[in-house]
Amino acid sequence: MSDYVLLTDATQFISTNSATLLYNQLTVPSLQQITHPAKLESLALFRELIQDFCQDINVEVLYDIQLAVDEICTNIILHGYKDMEPASITLKLEFDPAEIKISITDTGHPFQPKQPPDINLHATAEEREIGGLGLSFVFMSVDDLQYESTASGNITRLLKKI
Amino acid sequence: METTITPGKIDVIAVSGAIDALTAAELIAIFHKHIHDGHPDVIADFSQVEFMSSAGLRAILASVKEARSVGGDFRMANPSAGIDKVLKMAGFHNIVKIYPSVQEALASFGS
Repeated sequence: MSDYVLLTDATQFISTNSATLLYNQLTVPSLQQITHPAKLESLALFRELIQDFCQDINVEVLYDIQLAVDEICTNIILHGYKDMEPASITLKLEFDPAEIKISITDTGHPFQPKQPPDINLHATAEEREIGGLGLSFVFMSVDDLQYESTASGNITRLLKKI
Repeated sequence: METTITPGKIDVIAVSGAIDALTAAELIAIFHKHIHDGHPDVIADFSQVEFMSSAGLRAILASVKEARSVGGDFRMANPSAGIDKVLKMAGFHNIVKIYPSVQEALASFGS
């Protein structure tokens, strides 16, 4: 039964004569990986990779992934390599029909991201402190976060349902 | 990230591009210089901002505090849906006055 549905779908797909779509379907990779130096200039490059990888995905989901990755990478760049020679950050994106798996690997100081207290949404400018929002954004933007410190580095794994 | 200043009774600073940890420092410097350059009231037009992280919120909060410390105010106009979501996630609608258009932001100052 499922084969029949697949065949029907494929026939309809080809009958639309969308050669470009078919080409994209066959060639857009389901896995992308890139490594950049652990410096703030790299943040834009990671965002670009995510944008290219998530071309056909809802813009809100794309924004959530860019935001979570940006905040994690910023923490690594500003704090992870403190008093160390900055090395690099590797971003890996894996796509499957229901979710995007993201992993961020660095070789800086181990840092376990923990969910911060809820943001006080009613505080005025005078009551607000500058800073501390980044990790809150990460936890609000993705569906799961796992962290692992290994002999070869730190791996932060994020999962975003689509 | 780029900024364009349109002088007027209240100056409008239009921001475009991405505000992340790299560019936020530059943005704070631009806003603060303007505020202390005899323009305590500022409108930041965010219609062309494509991405903003928590670093951008720090720049906004710092600028609101800076403007109010010299008797003025820092107000925002026309954030896109993505930027507005970030502002709402952080409860920033209670921190900075945000208007749907530059015209409405100008009117809020009585201009």
